Amino acid sequence: MENENMLKIESVTKLYGYGILGLKKFKALDSVSMNVNLERPKIAVLAGETGSGKTTLLRIIMGIVKPEIGRVLYRGYDIHKLKGSTARWYRKEVQPIFQDPYEAFNPLRRVDSYFYDTVTNICGIKDKDEIMYRIDESLRFVGLSLDRVSGKYPHEFSGGELQRISIARALLTTPRILLADEPVSMLDATLRVGILNILKDLKEKLNMIIIYVTHDLSTAYYVGDDISVMYRGTLVEHGPISKVYQEPRHPYTSALLNSVLEPDPSLRDKYPAVKPSSLELKEFLIAGCRYANRCPYAKEICWTTLPPYIDVDGVNVRCWKHLDYKL
Amino acid sequence: MPKNILSVENLNGGYEVFVGRRRVFVHAVDDVTFSLHNNEVLGVAGESGCGKSTLAKMIYGAIIPPLLVKGGSISITTKGGEVLNINKLSIDEVRRKIWWIEISYIPQNSMNVLNPLKRIKDQFIDVFRYHGIKMDKTETVEHLRDTLTTLGLPPEVINAYPHQLSGGMRQRVVIALSLVFNPRIILADEPTTAVDVVTQRTILSLLKEWRENNKSSLVLISHDMSVHAYMDDRIAIMYAGNVVELGSSLDIFKEPLHPYTRALIESLIRKGDKSIRKGLAGQPPDLINPPPGCRFHPRCPYVMNICRSEEPVTTFLDNDRYVRCWLYTSSR
Ligand SMILES: Nc1ncnc2c1ncn2[C@@H]1O[C@H](COP(=O)(O)OP(=O)(O)OP(=O)(O)O)[C@@H](O)[C@H]1O
Ligand SMILES: Nc1ncnc2c1ncn2[C@@H]1O[C@H](COP(=O)(O)OP(=O)(O)OP(=O)(O)O)[C@@H](O)[C@H]1O
Ligand SMILES: [Mg+2]
Ligand SMILES: [Mg+2]
Repeated sequence: MENENMLKIESVTKLYGYGILGLKKFKALDSVSMNVNLERPKIAVLAGETGSGKTTLLRIIMGIVKPEIGRVLYRGYDIHKLKGSTARWYRKEVQPIFQDPYEAFNPLRRVDSYFYDTVTNICGIKDKDEIMYRIDESLRFVGLSLDRVSGKYPHEFSGGELQRISIARALLTTPRILLADEPVSMLDATLRVGILNILKDLKEKLNMIIIYVTHDLSTAYYVGDDISVMYRGTLVEHGPISKVYQEPRHPYTSALLNSVLEPDPSLRDKYPAVKPSSLELKEFLIAGCRYANRCPYAKEICWTTLPPYIDVDGVNVRCWKHLDYKL
Repeated sequence: MPKNILSVENLNGGYEVFVGRRRVFVHAVDDVTFSLHNNEVLGVAGESGCGKSTLAKMIYGAIIPPLLVKGGSISITTKGGEVLNINKLSIDEVRRKIWWIEISYIPQNSMNVLNPLKRIKDQFIDVFRYHGIKMDKTETVEHLRDTLTTLGLPPEVINAYPHQLSGGMRQRVVIALSLVFNPRIILADEPTTAVDVVTQRTILSLLKEWRENNKSSLVLISHDMSVHAYMDDRIAIMYAGNVVELGSSLDIFKEPLHPYTRALIESLIRKGDKSIRKGLAGQPPDLINPPPGCRFHPRCPYVMNICRSEEPVTTFLDNDRYVRCWLYTSSR
């Protein structure tokens, strides 16, 4: 069966409430689809606007948030309907690294206790030396060691250290899919390169699939194989990363790539001006393309109708411009 | 000569903690000296765990155990021209005289500092009330809407609870909160780590514009060298509790002196670059047991004998540029 080796996200829509009582709803995700072949290791970059729904999508893949419409299939199983041992199996297969490491650890619990729990409960290892070895090994992967983590609570670490600890924890179960939500956002360049190289190694040596959410489009290119760009709950462009960077098809992707800051002070005055937009929610509520409000190419149809996905030279894009503004 | 509004001299401090039953000291800020000029952006860069946030907490006077100041001084010139020694004040005095009014602090993980049980609007009202600022409710809400709008947030945000906002939205709420009293110094600890590049540039440009208009000074902590390139007048590079180099942005990027700074600049990945980088081998040191001599020596490609035993002295190239490395002392 072709479903056997696929992670399929099928037209997923997630509604959240807003307004004083939260009774009015907006689509934090609107018909998002994505297919990942589990036999083909890759680093899939998920980029996009703050608040565009990236974390929500990862939470849906983990099964902790349930979509109102659509479903997620992992090797043919609907992951929101798993029970008992299949649910446990899925938890081992898919491991998250959270955006905010302080959120991932209970402040009153010692950090190393999570490692012991994961190794014994999820991996089922009982031998004491083996347990210590596994934990130390995974911590050394990220430039730490069990010695330095032992007996400490989350607040005793710096932001970056805790981030590295949560990566180490996720590696313990040797998952098939790693959901990495901004995993290197808190590290300096010398360590960041190290972690990114680790992600590459995980892909190449352990055949992992890594969904890498990031705002840093320079590192995205360094490690990424393909990229999906989100804007206000919709996926606006998806394709091989080199193609998308060379010639972005969606106007939002262009805007994003043009805003990347370079590590060079002499370029300071060369960036295009930015306009703050205060219309986040309003944009979520637009019936058509959410970017219409800011798009230099927007026409009537863009406001009223969400464009379908079309294939332009091997890149999927949702933009009326490529359809000559006609269905 | 530019005027200084904040001077930090030979600052030493860290955390007193227990490892098992043994009491140990995490020496996170070691002999740090620098001054902040009036109307400038001073960047602080450095590796994860090198003490940037600790330095910020010490400057802000948020000395809450296990954080401990062991020595040195921090003095600030207030709006009224008074010179105050922050580490001589009681926490109550710091709270009343300094916080929000003289210095605002945007903590790291600011997405986390909001009270999860309160609506955004009530969090702001609490701060106003704390400082005895009387504003009626509708006025506050108006003022709030304005501040949030300039940071690109929808006005509906004021009625939201923190968990209903994305990471980047929460971060902007905290930034808005820090600017409400027009402080002369803003300490921003990683203010844009959680936002997309478009929003990042918006926030940075707004901070820039706000700062220029108010002639305030910004201490910008970030591990992201592109942010420093875009924002800073001067940059201080930290490694394992020491400021190892300080200089103008152009100098630091064009002509880094300290071997750590060089490695840092060489590890930067530019857009469209896939060439394999190595980063820097080895691990940042454990600050409970820092290596003797120069704290960078175990990872330094230019290590000499003296580096293994003696702490390097600071070499000044001019008033605003110094480096703490034996390579530059011996050659003089
Ligand atoms: N529990 C919730 N209740 C109501 N609204 C929510 C909830 N969680 C998220 N949202 C809203 O859904 C939208 C998407 O949020 P999400 O956290 O997925 O964004 P994101 O792309 O991860 O953003 P960032 O890059 O800032 O982390 C945001 O507008 C957010 O305010
Ligand atoms: N409350 C605490 N108790 C004990 N040690 C602490 C505490 N907070 C921080 N530390 C330690 O002090 C050192 C400096 O931490 P700090 O948070 O200042 O680093 P940082 O430079 O801000 O790092 P990052 O870039 O990762 O945020 C680290 O080694 C950290 O483990
Ligand atoms: Mg997120
Ligand atoms: Mg920090």
